[in-house]
Amino acid sequence: MISVETGVQVTQVNVMTSDNGGLSSEQITELALDKIVRVSQDAPPAIRDQAEAFKEEIRSVIYHYVELTRKEERGTICQMLSTTGHQDTADLVRRL
Amino acid sequence: MAITQAMCTSFKKELLEGVHNFKNSGGDTFKLALYAIGSGGKSSTTATLGATTTAFTTTGEVASSGTYATGGGSLTRVDPTSSGTTAFTDFADLSFTTATITARGALIYNSTDSNKAVAALDFGGNKSSTAGTFTIQFPTANASNAIIRIA
Repeated sequence: MISVETGVQVTQVNVMTSDNGGLSSEQITELALDKIVRVSQDAPPAIRDQAEAFKEEIRSVIYHYVELTRKEERGTICQMLSTTGHQDTADLVRRL
Repeated sequence: MAITQAMCTSFKKELLEGVHNFKNSGGDTFKLALYAIGSGGKSSTTATLGATTTAFTTTGEVASSGTYATGGGSLTRVDPTSSGTTAFTDFADLSFTTATITARGALIYNSTDSNKAVAALDFGGNKSSTAGTFTIQFPTANASNAIIRIA
């Protein structure tokens, strides 16, 4: 008898939700970190610790740039609103 | 009545029949629909999803809200590839905004081919958004983590 055994597998997904608005910078940072660093529970402790340390190291970097992106995007929107005569709305967006 | 994480058995058979095409270019359209258990679903229906699911069903699907429309959202395919002895494919993250949703799981299905089921996903508990964002993050596309892997 000739046979080949194989397995078709499906992995867990992450779900992130928010109330009264979009995801926070912390949540987006967490999503990014989960994509960049995923540590297997079966990994040797030394490697797992190193990976966890790296994850914490880059957390603040990602958070900083997420915040910067949001701020710059708001700046662009404010400028567009101002130049089209919607100063009140521009001020609202600027205060977000 | 439950949602159990599983690759649908009918999908495994259909893989051997060449039914599904996950290619980035020219592939089928795959969708993800959200389901509830108990309250939160449409018409108070409760979802039962798992290995025996063969096709998309409206039973237990959450109601339309924000950018979520019944039937679910289209997934962006990641080209199938292989690493070592494992072949895999994945999808880009999917978000529904300004949505009020409570979901316990999801079904990935092929809307190009009679809504045939691919996989049932269990979120492990109810996940809720209120006038907010509901994001499903798919795992990294590699041989150890990708959403669909043939090892």
